[in-house]
Amino acid sequence: MASSLTWTLPGTWPPRTVTQPMRPAEPGLVDLDERALVEACLSGQSAAFDVIVERHRRSVYLLCYRFVSNHEDASDLSQDVFLRAYRGLRSFRGQSSLATWLYRIGVNVCLNRVSAKKPLSESIEDRQFVDEKAESAPDRLMKDERGARVRAAIAQLPRKQRATLVLRMYHEMSHQEIADVLGSSVGAVKANFFHALSNLKKMLGGEVL
Amino acid sequence: MHLQPDELIDLAEGTRAESSATHLAECAVCRLQLEELKATMSAAADVDVPEPSPLFWDHFSARVRQAVDAEGAPRRSFWTWPRVAIPAVSVATAVLAVAVTLNRGGSGNTPLPTVVPAPVALPVASVDLLADPQSAGDTALTLVAELSSDMDFETARDAGLAARGSAEHAVTHLTGSELRELQRLLQEELARSGA
Repeated sequence: MASSLTWTLPGTWPPRTVTQPMRPAEPGLVDLDERALVEACLSGQSAAFDVIVERHRRSVYLLCYRFVSNHEDASDLSQDVFLRAYRGLRSFRGQSSLATWLYRIGVNVCLNRVSAKKPLSESIEDRQFVDEKAESAPDRLMKDERGARVRAAIAQLPRKQRATLVLRMYHEMSHQEIADVLGSSVGAVKANFFHALSNLKKMLGGEVL
Repeated sequence: MHLQPDELIDLAEGTRAESSATHLAECAVCRLQLEELKATMSAAADVDVPEPSPLFWDHFSARVRQAVDAEGAPRRSFWTWPRVAIPAVSVATAVLAVAVTLNRGGSGNTPLPTVVPAPVALPVASVDLLADPQSAGDTALTLVAELSSDMDFETARDAGLAARGSAEHAVTHLTGSELRELQRLLQEELARSGA
């Protein structure tokens, strides 16, 4: 009884991580292009980094989710990506887009994480954010199960194959962009993609194809 | 000769027309491989990511902001250090070169009149390091400062702090004219480097 009471103690809410409200982005910053935002950050306008986060947070989160398949880890990894980007902002030369640069950081962060920790797949019951209005419950359930199997198979691919497949299939990056992110050639990217799909086919067999 | 992986990928993605791959028409193995690639791509593409709640994004941005605020300003890149380091190294090198040259000149074949500099009792810690906020609270530095507060260059030399042959040793053994020349060169170098 005592332990159940502790769940309702008001001192446990709000969570400690939320300590300050988001400040509204300054109007002038929102219109700036990427290079100007980076310059603004480097000159001490930390609000400019808020704009960068707002523009790229969703794509970075989705990238991380594709690697770890659960919300909590994807959220933590995304935060890590932005923190590393902030630390290394001076090294951003503008030779690639900010998105590509963030993806590069994201892929490295995720690959380091997944090699250190076996990815945890989120159970179907935990998936509370999906818009379920569009599909009937049985259809949704079948799709979820199929999706879980594909994600589990992707999680077993070798690191570069997995990164290539995620960036190509889910982030619509060109082969050249993926080569830039992974530090390889277009030919190697195509070969990795081919082997990733072949391995995926072997792992899934005929069950979802 | 079967189709290569990059060719099959181009065909599966539709960036290359199947009609352009003549081998495909006559090779059942490659046709089957291409169909399997397409089917696997289709199955993988159908896997979506659950979209987080709209409230999550504000929460996320607040967390990033908190982490960034704790981090301070972005760090200076390794590649920007030379802008600071090069002038400093230039000055140090010039000082060393002048000191060594002048010191050698004093022991050349044509002996210069030896001018024995008057002993100058400069305290070693003439700059108050303890007043520096970066040094404040450094117990080791405090101890060294206390022990050396009454020490002059002679004592420091005797204590081995300026070894023979070192730049410090050379500088503390310059004659009056050598010191003036060193001062002139230093001012010239500092003016050039904009320091």
